[in-house]
Amino acid sequence: MKNAAVIVKSSLQLADKAGAEATEIYFTQHDSLAIEVRAGKLETSNRSCERGLGIRVIKAGSFGYAFTSDLEQAAIAAAVEMAVQGAKYSSLDTEPGFPQPADYDTALAQFDPGIVETPLEEKLNLALAIEQAALAADHRITMVERAVYEENNSSVLLANSHGLNVKYRLNFCGGYTWVVADDNGGDVQTGSGLSYATQLAQIDPTAIGQEAAQRAVQLLGAKPIKTQKLDLVLPPRVAARFLGILATALTAEAVQKGKSLFAGRLNEEIASPSVTIVDDGSLPGAINTAPTDGEGVPSQRTVLMSNGVLHGFLHNFYTASRAGTVSTSNGVRGSFKSAPEVGPTNMFFSPGEIAEEELIASVDKGLYVFDLMGAHTANPISGDFSLGITGLLIEGGRFTQPVRQVILAGNIQTMLQQVKAVASNLRFYLGFGSPTLLVESLTISGD
Amino acid sequence: MIVKRKSIEQALARALASGGDFAEIFLECRRISSIGLEAGRIEKVHSGLDQGAGIRLLAGDSSIYVYTNDISPSGLLKAATDANMALKQKLTDVRLPALTEEGPAQKQPHNNVIEIDQVVELLTKADAEARSVGDEIKQVLVRYRSSDQRVQIANSLGKMVTDSRSRTTLIIHIVAAKGDIVQTGYESLGSCNDNAIFTEDKVLELAVSSAQRASMLLSAKPAPTGRMPVVLAGEAGGTMIHEACGHGLEADIVGKDMSVYAGKSGQRVASELITVIDDPTLPGKYGTYSYDDEGTPAQETVLIDNGILKTYMYDLKWARRQGVESTGNGRRQSFQFSPIPRMSNTYLAPGETAPEEIVASTKRGLLVKRMGGGQVNPTTGDFVFEVAEGYVIENGRPTYPVRGATLTGNGPKVLLAVDMVGTDLGFAIGTCGKDGQGVPVSDAQPTIRIPELVVGGVL
Repeated sequence: MKNAAVIVKSSLQLADKAGAEATEIYFTQHDSLAIEVRAGKLETSNRSCERGLGIRVIKAGSFGYAFTSDLEQAAIAAAVEMAVQGAKYSSLDTEPGFPQPADYDTALAQFDPGIVETPLEEKLNLALAIEQAALAADHRITMVERAVYEENNSSVLLANSHGLNVKYRLNFCGGYTWVVADDNGGDVQTGSGLSYATQLAQIDPTAIGQEAAQRAVQLLGAKPIKTQKLDLVLPPRVAARFLGILATALTAEAVQKGKSLFAGRLNEEIASPSVTIVDDGSLPGAINTAPTDGEGVPSQRTVLMSNGVLHGFLHNFYTASRAGTVSTSNGVRGSFKSAPEVGPTNMFFSPGEIAEEELIASVDKGLYVFDLMGAHTANPISGDFSLGITGLLIEGGRFTQPVRQVILAGNIQTMLQQVKAVASNLRFYLGFGSPTLLVESLTISGD
Repeated sequence: MIVKRKSIEQALARALASGGDFAEIFLECRRISSIGLEAGRIEKVHSGLDQGAGIRLLAGDSSIYVYTNDISPSGLLKAATDANMALKQKLTDVRLPALTEEGPAQKQPHNNVIEIDQVVELLTKADAEARSVGDEIKQVLVRYRSSDQRVQIANSLGKMVTDSRSRTTLIIHIVAAKGDIVQTGYESLGSCNDNAIFTEDKVLELAVSSAQRASMLLSAKPAPTGRMPVVLAGEAGGTMIHEACGHGLEADIVGKDMSVYAGKSGQRVASELITVIDDPTLPGKYGTYSYDDEGTPAQETVLIDNGILKTYMYDLKWARRQGVESTGNGRRQSFQFSPIPRMSNTYLAPGETAPEEIVASTKRGLLVKRMGGGQVNPTTGDFVFEVAEGYVIENGRPTYPVRGATLTGNGPKVLLAVDMVGTDLGFAIGTCGKDGQGVPVSDAQPTIRIPELVVGGVL
């Protein structure tokens, strides 16, 4: 394979010859490793090396996109041709464009050499340590379905015909586990634990194993409760998943297409004053931090909602020019196989002041939620959701009984208005972060 | 063939050079194209080529997987070396049986793809048809996608299979709004090696039905909550059977003792009315294939026969561990993934009661005409499903539509409790996610009645 920089340069030239008016080339090489152990032994080891080229062109007022993982000249030329052809069929109502070159902060290229250089043996031991910690945490943990260490290392080269030329390396690693608790009385429950970080040293296998074990054991004996309205305590892991539902509605793309519940509500108070939501692609130590977004716009911090007031939306270069504003550096790309969309980088609820324990103690009748099922079925357009949940009943500020097979139904916007308290324990789960939230009076359907 | 036999033989021998019991190579070349219409315009025309190889090495109970985009002879050898290095043994010379070629008897026409001009015209007509339903239709998204996948699978037992799968999907997503209320409607169509279903009539019919559903939901009442009888119409598709029962019958989940169905072979696990079948040989369905992703010929597998658990769905690894034959359910999303046991086209076989009779004999309950997404915890069997279109049944008749309903229950308990099974059979397509891999599937069921499920909504 030729040098990536040479491939990128010659691809730009090929597109120019094929009649593209402007071109953007995105090259990535992605190396990953995943080690899964079970019963004290290696179960699977997965190693990959993947690279490819994404070509975006502008022709006659439209974008065209094509990709190839075959980096021979002929394959690239064919991809360029397909991108140019594609542009001819599509049409846009705003002139498309690519960003101009801009200075970016190379310090945001978070690359821990320790992740690559640490021998395989130690990574295997890390996975084994997760498994052991889960088994040691409680005698009712009868099985660890899997304990996994994984890492991702990537190199990015991004260039466009305006002279933009961005190059950086990133990596992160983490571990997770999935365990089973059995009380020997006929009830079986599961629990999971996970943690990801940009430095290997930050991964604590014991904490991952213990978290999973604790969840599974605490759910033993869970049963449905009667249909009622309850206050909900959403720990970081669960609250972060609601951000996943919100993120789509906070993109300018959804707003411009009339597919966001927040369309036309800028500067309105749409959530409780305790709610502040931020997207920050320049947050040190966060998984999705990078020098630029997928279009080469330098990463930045964007306050989307501040003390309940809607401040703005996420933009890529195109949605920004459509709205007459500037990109918020949210032109995100899944891989070289897709064109930049609009999406979050590191999105989080800003933390409050009180401790989680204090927040729980303040609840008279509520539910501490462990897990959501069916979060992918939530409707980002209407904001309606209806989710299966498990958790612990709170009565008089204390956990009393584990709960399963109940449904939490509501609307994300109503829920934001009912956030009564926000704890101080901000924690990230990959790209989404949250502290523990207390939400008042939501419907739980059960018996 | 994607690469030459000699290069494959060398890579397999290299993979086993430091030990291991089985080596396999999965080569793939996939061309995709997708055309999306939104806001009345053709917005996205994307195409691409992805190729690569995955090498798997089985050694005892451990499995090692390495993949690469570099399918040159030296690229394959490097990947094979990376695989055997995980075993950290001394290298030896390995002699393997010569590869014997297999493939589908009937080669599928390779370029089974509809011309781009035709697609653009079809999407444009679908958009207009959906908008003609009424002013409340605010947004229409129609996306066409085709994937032309060629695979070459070879293993150290001397098997080599070449196959091609050409899959096409079309989805329609509608947003309807009136005042503050926003609702959505969705339809999809998908097939494998058969584009005949993508007729203009069919696509326009789906455009109208998705738009009408979104529009109808604007005036729907909130769903009732609590325990009640639920009738799942055949046209609702088989998401329920896929989630509530299918995943628990996959041999990896069973083999790890993580399934409620582990150790239940030969036992009654469902009502006598229940027969569940997985069948990748059904012609043209979205989950159809001739060979699975390990080169095992596709076959029909009866999983539950009149309530008795017959077998699980196996791939090679789990068949080897349990000392049985693979059922041809070893699938993977792409060369980037190691194969695991997966469903294909899974259905609950039709019974003997007329669907209308099932509704008529239900005094009060919920009739589900369309399912949305769902999720199951295979260890506990607990599931949730979204109801995309539902009606309250009163005195044996469907009355007003409801929105925002979700069903929750326990899969094994539901299968034991089903008390009526209809004569109809309705299919739905989907991408099933497991261990981070998505594979195309379809599922189906007749109209069935579940005497009691928890229905959730807003109080």
